Amino acid sequence: MDTAVPNPAVVVSGVRKVFNRGATNQVDALIDIDFTVQRGEFVSLIGPSGCGKSTLLRLIADLIEPTDGTLVVNGKPAHQARLDQDYGIASQHSGLFDWRTVERNIELPLELKGWDKSRRRARSAEMLALVKLSEFATHMPWQLSGGMQQRVAIARALAAHAELLLMDEPFGALDEMTREHMQAELLRICSETGTTVVFVTHSIPEAVYLADRVVVMSPRPGRITAMVDVGLGRDRSELTREATEFFDRVTEVREALRGTHVGDPIMGVDDR
Amino acid sequence: MTIIAARTRDSLAIVLPPVIFGVVFVALWQAWVEIEDVQPYVIPKPTAILQSLFDDPNLVTKACVVTGVNALVGLILGSILGFVGSVLTNRFRLVADLVNPLAVTVAAVPAVVIVGVLNNMYALDSQIGRRLMVSIAVFFIVFVQVTKGLRHNNPTQMELMQSYAASPRQVLAKVRVPNTMPFLFTAIRTAAPIAVIIALVSEYFGGTQDGLGTKISGSLNGSNKALGFAYVVGGSIVGLLFFAGSSLLEYLVVPWQRRRRPG
Ligand SMILES: Nc1ncnc2c1ncn2[C@@H]1O[C@H](COP(=O)(O)OP(=O)(O)OP(=O)(O)O)[C@@H](O)[C@H]1O
Ligand SMILES: [Mg+2]
Repeated sequence: MDTAVPNPAVVVSGVRKVFNRGATNQVDALIDIDFTVQRGEFVSLIGPSGCGKSTLLRLIADLIEPTDGTLVVNGKPAHQARLDQDYGIASQHSGLFDWRTVERNIELPLELKGWDKSRRRARSAEMLALVKLSEFATHMPWQLSGGMQQRVAIARALAAHAELLLMDEPFGALDEMTREHMQAELLRICSETGTTVVFVTHSIPEAVYLADRVVVMSPRPGRITAMVDVGLGRDRSELTREATEFFDRVTEVREALRGTHVGDPIMGVDDR
Repeated sequence: MTIIAARTRDSLAIVLPPVIFGVVFVALWQAWVEIEDVQPYVIPKPTAILQSLFDDPNLVTKACVVTGVNALVGLILGSILGFVGSVLTNRFRLVADLVNPLAVTVAAVPAVVIVGVLNNMYALDSQIGRRLMVSIAVFFIVFVQVTKGLRHNNPTQMELMQSYAASPRQVLAKVRVPNTMPFLFTAIRTAAPIAVIIALVSEYFGGTQDGLGTKISGSLNGSNKALGFAYVVGGSIVGLLFFAGSSLLEYLVVPWQRRRRPG
C-alpha cells in the first residue's frame, strides 16, 4: 500500500509488564521489550517456559495492557487495531464453542464482522479443506480429537484473512506429520497473502523453519536477549529441513538460548 | 456387534440391581403380610394393590393426569421465568448479587405453605395456586443454576471474543447464554421430580379434590388402603416419567455435557 513510508506491522517500545503490582504475588513478567515486526515478516518468539511469550503476544493483541511502554499495531495503537479486528489469533488452547458445529466455530469471527451467511459458509469450507477436515464440517467440537480441535482453531484464526496473525504454540498438540503439514501450509498462506506472523513456539527447529527472524527471550523477567536472522529465503520445503544452513541456524538459536542460562538446563524448550 | 453387546451389558449392569432389589422387596412384603397375617387396613398386600390398580385404571390415571399437568405447567413456567430472570438480573451485577443469595436461601426452604395463600387468591376449583407454587420452587432452582452458568466462563473463549471486539451484548448472546445451557438443563432435571412432589403436597392445602395428593390421603385415611397405595404407585410413575423426560431432554439439548462435566 504505502510503499513510500513502509509502516511496520508491529512496533513494541519500552514495554514492561508487571502482574499483581504491589501484592505479595507480584510477577515481573516482561522488562525492556523493544522490537519491530515488518510487514510480511514472519517472526518466531522462543524462550524458556514462563518467560512471558504468551504475555507479549497478548499485549500485542491488546488483551492485556502494558505496565509501561507502547504498542503500535498496523500503524495505530494496539487498542484501535483490536477494535478494527486487524489480526487473527490462535492460542495454546483451542477455545472452541461446544454448541457450535465445526464450521460455525470457524465462522464466528466472520459473523461478528457482519459477513452474510453464504460468504461465511464458502470461507469456512475453504478453511476446512486447508486443515484437511472437510468431512467434519458439521461435527461438534467435542467429537474431535485434541489435535483436530486445534486445527479447527487455526482455521478460525486464518478465516478472516487478517494481515497479521498472532499464534501461541498453535501446533503444540499436533503429531509430527500433521505439524509439518501445517507448517508448510502456514508458510504457503503467508507467502501468497503477504501475511505478517508473530509465532510463539517451544521448538527450535520449528522456530527456524518458519521464521525470517527468531526472537530469543530470557527466563523471567523476560527480555529479548538475541535476534537471529534466519536468511533461508522464502521458498522453504522439506529439503530446507535437511540443509546445512538450517542446522547452522538451529545451533545459533540453541546457543543464544543457552547464553540466557549459564549452567542450568533449558526448561521447556525442546530440540525437536 | 461387540459394541452393542457391551452397551447392552452396561445398561443391564445399571438397570438390573434396582430391578432385582424391587422384586425381592415386593416378594418379601407379600410373604410377610401372608405369613404374619397382617390386616389389610394396616398394610395391604402388593397383589391387592395391583388388583385395585387394574380394577379401575381410569381412577388412578385421572388423578395422575391432574397432578402431572399441574407439575408440568409449573415446571415449564418456573424454568422460563428462572432463566429469563437470571439473564435479566445479571445484566445488572448488583441486582443479581442481591437476588442470588435470596434465591439460594428460598430454594432450600420448603415453601409449600405459600400455597395456602395462593389458593385464597383464586376460585376454589382452580389449579392455578398449585401451579404457581410449583413455579416458585422451580424458579429458584433454575435461577441459581443459570446464574452460576452465566458466571462460569472459559478464559480462552472470553479472550477470543475480546479479540473480535465483540460488544457486551454479543458476548452475552453468543457465549454467556449458550454457556448456561448445561446448567439450565441440569437444573430442570433436578427440579422435575421436586415439581411432582410439590404439586402433590400442595393439594393438602385446599382446592379441588381430584389430584393424587388428596386421593392418597383420602384413601389411606379411609378403609381402602390398597387403593391408597395404588395412588402412591401412580405418583411414583409420574415422578419417574418426569425424571426420565428431563434426563432425555438434557441428553438431547446439551450432549457435550456428559463429556465435559461427568456426573
Ligand atoms: N494473568 C496473570 N496474572 C499473574 N501472573 C501472570 C498472568 N499471566 C501470566 N503470568 C505470569 O507471567 C509469567 C509469564 O507467563 P507467560 O504465560 O507469558 O509465559 P510463557 O512464556 O508463555 O510460558 P509457556 O511457554 O509455558 O507458555 C509467568 O510467570 C506467569 O506466572
Ligand atoms: Mg505460553
